[in-house]
Amino acid sequence: MNKVLTAPNARNASAETRFAPARLRRTVLEMAYAGGTVHIGCAFSIIELLAVLYRSHLQYPGNNPQAAERDYLVLSKGHGVMAQYACMRELGWLKDEAFTGYFADGSNLKGLSDSRISGMEVTSGSLGHGFSVGVGMAMGAKLRCTDQKTYALVGDGEINEGPIWEGALFAAHHMLKNFMVIVDENGFQAMGSTQEVIDLGSIKAKFESFGFEALSIDGHDQVAINDSIKQLWASHSTAPKALIAKTVKGKGVPFMENNNIWHYTRLDPETFAQALTALAGSAS
Amino acid sequence: MRAAFSDTLVRLAKADPKVLLLTGDHGYALFDDFRRACPAQYINAGIAEQNMVGMAAGLARTGFRPLVYGLSAFIPVRVLEQIKLDIAHDQLPVILIGDGAGFVYSHLGTSHQSSEDIACTRAIPDLSVYSPADRFELAVCMEMAYKSKAPVYLRMGKSDRGDVHREAPKASIGALLPIRHGLAGNINFIATGSMVRTAIDIADVHYPDAAVWSAPFIKPLGAQQVATICAQSLAVVVLEEHSVMGGLGSAISEIASEFSPVRILRIGVQDRFSQHCGTYEYLLKEHGLDRASVAQRIEAFVKTV
Repeated sequence: MNKVLTAPNARNASAETRFAPARLRRTVLEMAYAGGTVHIGCAFSIIELLAVLYRSHLQYPGNNPQAAERDYLVLSKGHGVMAQYACMRELGWLKDEAFTGYFADGSNLKGLSDSRISGMEVTSGSLGHGFSVGVGMAMGAKLRCTDQKTYALVGDGEINEGPIWEGALFAAHHMLKNFMVIVDENGFQAMGSTQEVIDLGSIKAKFESFGFEALSIDGHDQVAINDSIKQLWASHSTAPKALIAKTVKGKGVPFMENNNIWHYTRLDPETFAQALTALAGSAS
Repeated sequence: MRAAFSDTLVRLAKADPKVLLLTGDHGYALFDDFRRACPAQYINAGIAEQNMVGMAAGLARTGFRPLVYGLSAFIPVRVLEQIKLDIAHDQLPVILIGDGAGFVYSHLGTSHQSSEDIACTRAIPDLSVYSPADRFELAVCMEMAYKSKAPVYLRMGKSDRGDVHREAPKASIGALLPIRHGLAGNINFIATGSMVRTAIDIADVHYPDAAVWSAPFIKPLGAQQVATICAQSLAVVVLEEHSVMGGLGSAISEIASEFSPVRILRIGVQDRFSQHCGTYEYLLKEHGLDRASVAQRIEAFVKTV
């Protein structure tokens, strides 16, 4: 097993360097290989979304993941947790040993998001939970009259879950303009394409019909992500926000892209080497 | 008991503006006083229990003290996973109130009846389970749940069976409360919720030397006290308006079998759903939980010890 992170710790480097998508994806690959774990594809589809959020939007006073006045990022699609771990490494919240020892007996970082890890707001993996917790956090911030923002990052497969739509009704009714759902529309869920399993139609239209102000973007275009988040927050509407990010499952490693076996497949030495090479090639 | 619930709720909310009441569109007249006294602390989350419980977790994370109200068939049974993952896992200070437990909704059928809620919640780590028998215990349970700053499921069953205490009992979490003292070496009745009244009535008539205990705290449950009671008993009878699997009878039996084995009769709901509808008393009889049926079973049991 690989026990080395090839991207050196770069706490003093610029945010652009630390949150460069290729760097984050390399961390994900290396920890997936070290841990012999799965869910690489669904981590890769949210890399740019998380990079932009952490780099340009999420407020953590004093770089404290538990600061009382922080913004809330709820990773409701807990299966993409390795992407968040990679970002938390860049913030200095996780040490390199946590990555090289991923899934070692007695280690803390699990295969799905866990609220006991400082910097994570919910325990996910059972889908459709984080959205509602996020709505509650947004409601709490509204009641306390703070300007904290809550982001709930959900998968497109995840929105099969009923509580998402229960929470959407509530968020719109209570005019939670401080709440933004980001849908990672990578077109796949565990057993196939979303179109084959439960056709979602227009996700943007669905959230709009629930009273959200919604935008659709390319979820790998960092400029578009940044601009659209700014645009949604700048709105004078009292509606909650929805950012529908069209993404590619497995983005960044061509042989993983839109290939759903990378939801469940583990890296072996050969595919690991191929993936690193492909990643380096696609980033150049 | 319902008046005590409303009064305690209003008192807690007035004293602490962080207290929020969330209801899943239930409790029509029950919350009139609360809505008048603390309108800004009242949230009707709609008929959407899963979202309501998830939101309660989010509100607790931002410093609020949510009380989540629903019928026990829904809170906690329908939302068990939200309670487990979103609340109990992080020991968030959320009080979950399940009203109408057991067969209160005797005419409405299985969807509104709950005989599995204690069993479901008892197995969730870091979640306490309270089951008051009268207005005094209810107020004590609510105060203790609030002060504990930890997740609590509070089960409210049939509310008009009268007081079992003369005044507010001195209680500590996990303690069985003495209702009637008995003679050592005799039978001990341990009951919870609505069945405390039944235990008192049967003991008064048939077992003058038996002790009767109320168990408002099903989890945690003081093992030492239970073991002592069992050690001093000829036999123990546990009564609850809940399944005999996983409820108070199971909890007492678990402690007894490890520390102080004794014959235990578990009076509760057998492994069956209600077949018919009718008055509350009718449905108790269908399940063998009316006073006469329970007395018969105890009589037969006592002959064997």
